[in-house]
Amino acid sequence: MATTTATVSITSADLVPGMPVAINASSTLYQTGTTTGLELVEMGKGTLTQASGADALADALGTADTTNWVYICNKSTNVEQYMVIGIHETVIGHLGSEEWLWMPWNMGDSDAEINIEAEASGSIDYEYAIYRSTNTLPAKT
Amino acid sequence: MATLTPTLTLTSTDVSSDRLSFSVTDSLTITSPHIGLAKTAVTTTGANNIIQPATDGQTYYVYVKHTGVDSGGSAVSTTLNIELTGDVIIGKLSAGEFMWMPVGGHSLGVQLQASSGTIVAEYAYFTKG
Repeated sequence: MATTTATVSITSADLVPGMPVAINASSTLYQTGTTTGLELVEMGKGTLTQASGADALADALGTADTTNWVYICNKSTNVEQYMVIGIHETVIGHLGSEEWLWMPWNMGDSDAEINIEAEASGSIDYEYAIYRSTNTLPAKT
Repeated sequence: MATLTPTLTLTSTDVSSDRLSFSVTDSLTITSPHIGLAKTAVTTTGANNIIQPATDGQTYYVYVKHTGVDSGGSAVSTTLNIELTGDVIIGKLSAGEFMWMPVGGHSLGVQLQASSGTIVAEYAYFTKG
């Protein structure tokens, strides 16, 4: 099984006077349980338009309540633009220009798609990666 | 106002025939309030473990890590729910895992809930300036 490692570093020299912030964490990406090897990886880039409304970045096509990870980065350099990030009907937050997120996605049920929406106007380039424990291919049409 | 620099790195030598070596960073403007880094022993009642106050139009950047131990220091393998207040599950962390994401666009806070027993979590939040 493949081993993928995620590392985060969060630093600030001026948030607290005389006490720099330095948060570091690293973890191996496990499948549900302790099996290494989240090998179902989807990475890509796209462009969102405000006019298109909310779009599903990834459907919950896998076993419910499993370990999956989502990375999204808003590549827009326009500070007026942000992406609305949600899971089905739940808005999680706003991803501002050049911001990124790394979040678990346990696909609680089949209505747990990751959705993204561009605000306020124009188009937003984004990049993403999704690591899955399982993926059920949709039926042919 | 202060500057916060979050960096994510993903690496693997064998996830595919091509080596994975990916890094992304950002420079965020931060204002008060913020919690630099704290620990809490999370119980099975999410409403008792609110780590980020309800948003009022602002965005919070939230960091959470499952430390892999309980309040007595013993290793645990139970999962840690990341929830919006009102028990809306966003995702679950296993021992050793972490997350970083913006929270906002609604009037909810963030709470943690252990799937059983207690779990010591590290967390921080920063308010977007």
